[in-house]
Amino acid sequence: MKFLAVCSTGLGSSFMIHMNIDKVLKELGVKGVDVDHSDLGSVARGDADAFFVGRDLEEATDTLDNVVVLNSIIDLNELRTKVRAELEAKGVAIPEGNAA
Amino acid sequence: MLSSYLTPETTLFSDAVDGWRDAINRVSAPLLASGSITPDYVTAMTDSIAAGGTYIDLGYGIALAHSRPENGVLKTGLSSLRVSTPVLLNDDPAHPIDLFFCLAATDPTGHLQTMMELANLLSNDELRTRLLAATNAADVSTVINENGTTE
Repeated sequence: MKFLAVCSTGLGSSFMIHMNIDKVLKELGVKGVDVDHSDLGSVARGDADAFFVGRDLEEATDTLDNVVVLNSIIDLNELRTKVRAELEAKGVAIPEGNAA
Repeated sequence: MLSSYLTPETTLFSDAVDGWRDAINRVSAPLLASGSITPDYVTAMTDSIAAGGTYIDLGYGIALAHSRPENGVLKTGLSSLRVSTPVLLNDDPAHPIDLFFCLAATDPTGHLQTMMELANLLSNDELRTRLLAATNAADVSTVINENGTTE
């Protein structure tokens, strides 16, 4: 399972999303998800099971599938909800007790 | 360390900012002065925003202005500018910004620790609220130091 955070430069918002995904996965006690970040020009369909991008890059990611669009890069609550939804959609088990 | 980059010299406040271009010029000025970036970097950031690059809006009225290392970064640096009246990024009403950061990174991973701290700080509801409420560099410094003690 791989989650990839993507932005235009590959070192600003994607970096922040990457670290926040790590934080959310740790909270949830989910292991075995590979998280990385990259720039738009370097990613292609199939590079990850889900691509996380900020709202302004939604159109630029038309060529990708499984794109998760974030309204805010720094809203952990939003990210938590969307990461959980992706894990559930992909059939990744979230350990009991961390479901809240 | 975030605290070694965001110092009184790089933590700016202004109530007289004339649009987003002025904001970018102002927030990057300390990094130009310290030799962290070249004027090309400022141009690259401005051109990127003018071309529709409002993705630097992180949410909550906070923007992280930056460009690629090869566009004029000499050494890693970070600065901030709090404006008293929201500035519309690229004159776009969907992107009112209260707090600008300017990030200069020499390579994609060299600024890992700083970015981790910044992401942690800005993603923490309480600390972010206090950062936005800060009216001087000392307030910012206090918030940053507390950030260092939270996970």
